[in-house]
Amino acid sequence: MFTLLKLAFRNVFRAKRRTIITFSSVSVGLGLLIISICLMNGIDKQSISNIIHSQTSHLKLFKTGYFDKKDEIPLNKTIQNPEQYYAKIKEHPKVKEVESRILFGASLIKRMDELPCLGVACEPESDPKILNIKDSLIAGTWIDSNKPGMVIGADMAKDIDLKVGDNVTIRIITSSKGEDITWNALDMEIVGLFNSGNPAVDSNRIIVPLILAQEALSMGNEVTEIVVCLTNDNEDTLEQAKTWLGTVFNNTDEKIEVYSWKDLASTFLAISKTKTKSSAMLIMIMLFIASIGIINTMLMAVLERTREIGMLMALGMKKWEIMKLFVFEGGLIGVFGSLLGCLLGGLAGWYLEVKGWSISAFGETYEKIAQAAYPVKDIFYGDLSFNILLSTFIFGVVISVIASLYPARKATKLNPIEALKYI
Amino acid sequence: MSLIRLENVSKIYKTGKVDFPALKEISFSIDKGEFLSIAGPSGSGKTTILNIIGCLDKPSDGTLFLNDTDISSKNSNELANIRRYNIGFIFQTFNLIPILTAFENVEFPLILKGNMKQKDRKLLVEEILTEVGLKDFMFRKPSEMSGGQQQRVAIARALIKQPKMILADEPTANLDSKNGKEILQLMLQMNKRTNTTFIFSTHDRMVMDFALRIITLKDGQIHRDDKRR
Ligand SMILES: Nc1ncnc2c1ncn2[C@@H]1O[C@H](COP(=O)(O)OP(=O)(O)OP(=O)(O)O)[C@@H](O)[C@H]1O
Ligand SMILES: [Mg+2]
Repeated sequence: MFTLLKLAFRNVFRAKRRTIITFSSVSVGLGLLIISICLMNGIDKQSISNIIHSQTSHLKLFKTGYFDKKDEIPLNKTIQNPEQYYAKIKEHPKVKEVESRILFGASLIKRMDELPCLGVACEPESDPKILNIKDSLIAGTWIDSNKPGMVIGADMAKDIDLKVGDNVTIRIITSSKGEDITWNALDMEIVGLFNSGNPAVDSNRIIVPLILAQEALSMGNEVTEIVVCLTNDNEDTLEQAKTWLGTVFNNTDEKIEVYSWKDLASTFLAISKTKTKSSAMLIMIMLFIASIGIINTMLMAVLERTREIGMLMALGMKKWEIMKLFVFEGGLIGVFGSLLGCLLGGLAGWYLEVKGWSISAFGETYEKIAQAAYPVKDIFYGDLSFNILLSTFIFGVVISVIASLYPARKATKLNPIEALKYI
Repeated sequence: MSLIRLENVSKIYKTGKVDFPALKEISFSIDKGEFLSIAGPSGSGKTTILNIIGCLDKPSDGTLFLNDTDISSKNSNELANIRRYNIGFIFQTFNLIPILTAFENVEFPLILKGNMKQKDRKLLVEEILTEVGLKDFMFRKPSEMSGGQQQRVAIARALIKQPKMILADEPTANLDSKNGKEILQLMLQMNKRTNTTFIFSTHDRMVMDFALRIITLKDGQIHRDDKRR
């Protein structure tokens, strides 16, 4: 056994150039695989984090019927006196914070320019504990319940050239039934600009104090949603809290439904799923490249060493021992190639995790395309894990062993006399 | 009891539609300790007969007995075992394992045989390499040795497992006459010391003269069987 391994080891390094080429095909294939998995995982992780922490938070409660119409941003499916539920919601140990909000369709008017946007009326004290908008202010201050004023996304401000201190008119759409749109205008000062890193938020959100919106829209003590923030992003926590809240609101007089960020970000999750499919394709391709290299190398080795194989048979080596020798060789190529691949992929992945991959370097067009698909701006960060490296390594070795089976079998099929005659 | 016995052994090669009889009902036996040459012109069947005795090939008809055991029903693993424990080979083209040193090449059959500590193997290999005159070449690769030296390693490799017989198909064909003579002298010396049966083929008169018995083949049949004293 040990001798066979030693023999295999030396054989692998016998044809140096060919071995190096095979190593490279295995290691480049696996390295690229690691980089792409690392990047895809990283983008997913970053996207999910952005969705949760700057857009939806973990869970939302809507009046029954709101969710189906949510794209119209209706103002007539509201929850009355939301504070009455806070205590109950907070009974769940994993609930960190609760706030009520009104989402409204609006447009921002600056002289002749009019920019459609999404208005968010939130509780200025609670919101920073739930979302990262206040933390991402790059100019001005946060909103205040006692003072009219709004913060808007930095990208939007850039688009229509607005800055802190500017006074703008917001047109709030109060109801839209087909062609019939009723609206309400409100003059307000921009008190701050935020840059959350989530392009969907930074390019079309304006944020105002809840009380102000309720007054302007004559909504009394109504809100369109209650936002629930949990103590962590864990999936189990999410599902568990969602189910719990579901049963709680089954018994209330008001009909209220619970949705998680997954329900709200279904488009993103669908994209992410197709990405998993294409990554499976990628793995197939890498598998193919690596195994073609190994099969080719091993077949050449068998051909070149035909006479040697005949001699080994004459010395009394059995077929399965010859088989083992060549499988060991394939396996060793796999081990070294995969090690190298993991090293290269690991280094690249580590770089991507720490430094990230700047999309803006590819120009604005690419950045726009990327932003359309992912709620991530500027820099994509990789997410490297030991598991990725380990499974890629095992994958590489297994593929190499499998790829060497056919050439190894070919070696055992040789007739010793014919093989010994081979020049 | 003879070590090797062939009874009416025939070998027919099928080439296309024509059957070619390379050996025709050959019978003879070889005793332990013989130093025997198989002679005959090219195409007379020397290699074929050595391959059959060496269990690398099977007769088309007739029977080979090794130690009075009929081996015709053995499968390829059993034949491999017979070769591993009982038969040493010396080839015309040396056929050492190119990635192993002389020492490792000689050690290899011992490892295949198993059941020996590395320390004991080392002593044995060193002893036999010294005996074939390669004390200072132990750690050379085959590519760093002359043909004569390589063939000495091959002799050591064949001998080390203490086989019942050593088969050599034209062991001197790739050597000059001086080296060829030295190889034959070495083989004869080993035959005398260890009483191992040596069977070699050649069409070189000078090489043949070393043999104590010469079986001459002609057209796949035994033409002469000369014993000398
Ligand atoms: N695989 C084969 N297929 C067909 N014919 C073969 C085969 N091997 C050998 N022969 C024929 O059998 C005969 C005996 O061959 P063999 O190799 O035993 O001769 P030899 O005495 O060793 O000759 P040489 O001195 O040239 O090595 C030859 O005529 C050869 O052509
Ligand atoms: Mg021959």
